[in-house]
Amino acid sequence: MVQKLGEKLLADWLSGSHITFKNEKIKKKYSANAKRIIDTIKLKKTDRIPIIPCATQKFAFEYANATYKDAMYDFDKIRTAYIRQYENIDFDAYVGPEFIYPGGMFDALQWKRLKLPGNHLPADRPFQFEEAEYMKADEYDEFLDDPSDWMIRKYLPRLSPKLEPLAGLPSFHNILNYYHGLHDFTFAVADNPGVLDAFKALAKSGKVVSKWYDHLAKFDQEISGNYGIPHLLGGCSHAPYDVICNYFRGWRGAISDLYRQPEKMLKMMDRLLPWMIDYGVSSAQSTGNPICTLYIYKGADSFMSDEQFDTFYWPTLKKLIMALVDEGLMVWVFTQGTYDTRLKYFAEIPSGSCLIHLESGSDIFKANEVLSGKQCIEGNVPNSMLANGTADEVEQYCRKLIAECGPGGGYMMDFSAFLDEARRENIHKMVEVTKHYGQYGLDGRLKQQ
Amino acid sequence: MSELTDLIADLKEQEALKLVEEMLEAGKEPNTILSAARKALDVVGERFEQKYYFIPDLIFSGELMAKVASLVKPKIQTSGNEKETIGKFLIGTVEGDIHDIGKDVVAFLMEMNGFEVKDLGVDVPKSVFVNATIEFEPDIIGISGLLTNVFDDIRDTIKAIDDAGIRKNCKIIIGGGQLDESVRKHTNADSFTTDAGIGVQQCLEWMGEK
Ligand code: B12
Repeated sequence: MVQKLGEKLLADWLSGSHITFKNEKIKKKYSANAKRIIDTIKLKKTDRIPIIPCATQKFAFEYANATYKDAMYDFDKIRTAYIRQYENIDFDAYVGPEFIYPGGMFDALQWKRLKLPGNHLPADRPFQFEEAEYMKADEYDEFLDDPSDWMIRKYLPRLSPKLEPLAGLPSFHNILNYYHGLHDFTFAVADNPGVLDAFKALAKSGKVVSKWYDHLAKFDQEISGNYGIPHLLGGCSHAPYDVICNYFRGWRGAISDLYRQPEKMLKMMDRLLPWMIDYGVSSAQSTGNPICTLYIYKGADSFMSDEQFDTFYWPTLKKLIMALVDEGLMVWVFTQGTYDTRLKYFAEIPSGSCLIHLESGSDIFKANEVLSGKQCIEGNVPNSMLANGTADEVEQYCRKLIAECGPGGGYMMDFSAFLDEARRENIHKMVEVTKHYGQYGLDGRLKQQ
Repeated sequence: MSELTDLIADLKEQEALKLVEEMLEAGKEPNTILSAARKALDVVGERFEQKYYFIPDLIFSGELMAKVASLVKPKIQTSGNEKETIGKFLIGTVEGDIHDIGKDVVAFLMEMNGFEVKDLGVDVPKSVFVNATIEFEPDIIGISGLLTNVFDDIRDTIKAIDDAGIRKNCKIIIGGGQLDESVRKHTNADSFTTDAGIGVQQCLEWMGEK
């Protein structure tokens, strides 16, 4: 039988084959951590409930007195911050600043609809993006007719003044007409020096990205290699409905489309689906990680009716997850907001293939009932408690989570949302409580109550 | 209920707009049309509170209403639709924050519950809140804030209102998904909520006490 991509990635990831470990002990620790995580996702017996950080931001930056601005510009400083965090707090897995993009990538293109810290915002604020109608209500057909052409000649010029000249190029599919299309095309490039400038701006942006790639690539060696903590975040993808809301129509625009042109929306989602599958698979491959992350946005309980969820959100999301699982990948579904009524849907996916993150808005105890024996759940420790509560409160809350969700496995301890403000002692307490009360005996039962 | 009220309440845009045009052509009183449309929004609000309608339904009904109004307004001679209101409500999303869906839901429900609503939009600087409070003289000020890092901006906005000496005549309620009692204390608001319905109840209670 041919080995699936996910299986190969999993084997490499479990063994840490690309990492040079500091010593044998660290290597063993890495393997034990990695195995614990995977066994928990696969609903197998393990030695203990894992404790993972879905992501840390400001909380991590403070280890090097860094700001959100530094995170986007001063890569060495921010890497130091994360390394110190993991040196100080012994999580079972690590997540770095993968979603804090390099500021220079946007600056070179004068990217619009994005406010950056230290420029449009105070240095200690996260970058902010705006949802807008990047694609107008009447442009579905144009997009569907030739999506990539539309992206290059319409979408990019709208988002970046530096890329506006691309709007003047003739349609790429014209190149097929004898050599007429070719002469039209090359002439348009020669006739418009802006096109060259646009590519120069792209290259300038790309040079920053290249440094950022180098920076991210150092994390595995630094954190996995020195502390035995495996990387949890690999590839990523997006639910097609969210892509339309977040990148094309804005939530408001998308909402109108639900009523005014539902068929076009559905067609567009079908068109996006193979791209999303493709990106999920190829990004897993390039990061060498068997867990593909899907942050999900606009499918929350109050964000649409059950009927709308059944029609617009779930079908393409399910196909996407199934395609990733078919490749042997595991899927980290990161729900945001309240998803109580949606969780049952994940029972339709083969058991033990998803890791479902829950924020404090969802009822994790109910989720545990609904998904027990089907998918692994994690998260829920309220960030407000971590910021303002006492270590005692955190201990009580975590012990309750362990007692309710721990039996039978398939559960990981994690915060509710990306961590900004939090008392250090509260995070230490979370880790300590999980490592103490989260241990399983050989019979698979929790050792302590 | 009139046919128009039903059509809008059921979010049937094309049929509703067609009917409005027919009614206008037949010489129907524009204000009757508007009040039928308003009644429909009451129904939408009720359905939302009963969890039969969801956020998209609410947002879309707002759009529908705007379309109806744009068809009807040119035909109105007098300023029209003087509706009895029970109080004045000023709302905006705090500086630094551009989330507006929750704010719009609240503004919508407050209007349905009889308040005259003034909406300052998003990313509202504290000076704008202060000036609007002086001009509009609201009974209640609502501040929306969804990001944890704007809690200090909420506090500063409320402090500016305090410092301007215009707080005594009004109550302040803050709302947003990340809020809790500790944020209310920190910002010195009179009340907080993470749920529009509960917020509206609180405002109605305040008006009852007046
Ligand atoms: C949609 C959305 C966006 C859209 C906003 C579109 C729009 N037009 O509003 C966009 C994409 C622009 C956006 C941007 C950002 N967002 Co945002 N966004 C959301 C999301 C998914 C939904 C918010 C929403 O509309 N909810 C629906 C409404 C109805 O709920 P609500 O706002 O809570 O309102 C209810 C109550 O709170 C109450 N209420 C609200 N206001 C008021 C006011 C009064 C007076 C009263 C009485 C009641 C009341 O009534 C409402 C109905 O019950 C939330 C996650 C979530 N699940 O909530 C994140 C979220 C709020 N965003 C978040 C973040 C971080 C951001 C960004 C910084 C992301 C980025 N890096 O770009 C930017 C910031 C932009 C800015 N300056 O504000 C975080 C905040 C985390 C934190 N701890 O601060 C959240 C929680 C996501 C997350 N889980 O991390 N976002």
